[in-house]
Amino acid sequence: MSRYDVNVVLYRLKKDAAFRARFVNEPRAALERADLTDEERDAFVRWDVRRLNELGGSLHLLVSIPHLGAH
Amino acid sequence: MGRIVYAAAMSHVLAPDYYGKNVGPHGRAMVEELIDVVGVMGREMLAARPDALVVVADDHLNVFSFDAVPAFCVRIGRRVERMVQEDAIEFDRALDGLPERYPVHEDLANRVLEEGMEAGIDFAASWSAPLDHAFLSPVSVLCGEAPVPPLVPVWVNCFVAPQPSARRCIEVGRHIGRVIADGPWRVAMIATGGLSHFPALSLARLGTSDPAFDRRVIAALEAGDEHALRQLPMKELHETGSHELLNWLVLVGAVSPARARVRFFGEMGRIDLAALQWEVA
Repeated sequence: MSRYDVNVVLYRLKKDAAFRARFVNEPRAALERADLTDEERDAFVRWDVRRLNELGGSLHLLVSIPHLGAH
Repeated sequence: MGRIVYAAAMSHVLAPDYYGKNVGPHGRAMVEELIDVVGVMGREMLAARPDALVVVADDHLNVFSFDAVPAFCVRIGRRVERMVQEDAIEFDRALDGLPERYPVHEDLANRVLEEGMEAGIDFAASWSAPLDHAFLSPVSVLCGEAPVPPLVPVWVNCFVAPQPSARRCIEVGRHIGRVIADGPWRVAMIATGGLSHFPALSLARLGTSDPAFDRRVIAALEAGDEHALRQLPMKELHETGSHELLNWLVLVGAVSPARARVRFFGEMGRIDLAALQWEVA
């Protein structure tokens, strides 16, 4: 489980509006360079926040990403 | 000789709309009641004429990223900014109307940092970290329209494992209390956050608190039972969603053996809310 890498992507989604917009439009392309396992990448692409949380994604990041937050 | 003239701890999402939306009318009513109590506490705090206000709180991955997570961080410099983030989560957005900058009590902040290094408390230092709701929601309710005393913001890593232990938080607080006692200032000190919520930081379990655990912790605080508090394992704090109690334990270390008095306690279901004051005067 690459907990660090999952959270790097989540933090970027929270803080970087341009990256977030790209992710919303083309999630797989936006994550092309991210160092994720296939399972992590799929969870991002499906935007399965529970799965991302189970894979080590920070609850506080998952609930606070603008427009995507899981609150 | 300096001293702590006011000490309190309180929940830090003082936002009726948030609880109204996520919990319902009883959540809104409960936090409104807490806000009234914290407002009264603030008038008492300001009546004690503090030269500085130490605020111990946590970061919600707003300030520090996973690239570097300080166990404890002191904000130094002359001023500190309110966090500004586009489309922030609603209880941070609620801070939008507040002042953009606050004074830092530079001398006290520097002493906490420098004397900490000499004493074996290796704080991280930040000149740029801004303040989110964990700091400014309680501070703004406490101070109302009155000027905010110069701040000494202290962050505790409550959420990114491995966190500092309960024992270590109490030791850090003891150090801050010593620095205050050795200095010339009258200091107010607050810790924020809690009570139990977000058990195990699991999205699947969002929405539940642990009132039995919270009552047990509050009883220990009322009894001034530092021994029981320093034994609290992180595993239990994590499981019950009591991560932010680490902030409170820093305060306990600073004011021990003072006992806490409960000013507000409410079981909301999603979170338990509280405000406690320590008998330091």
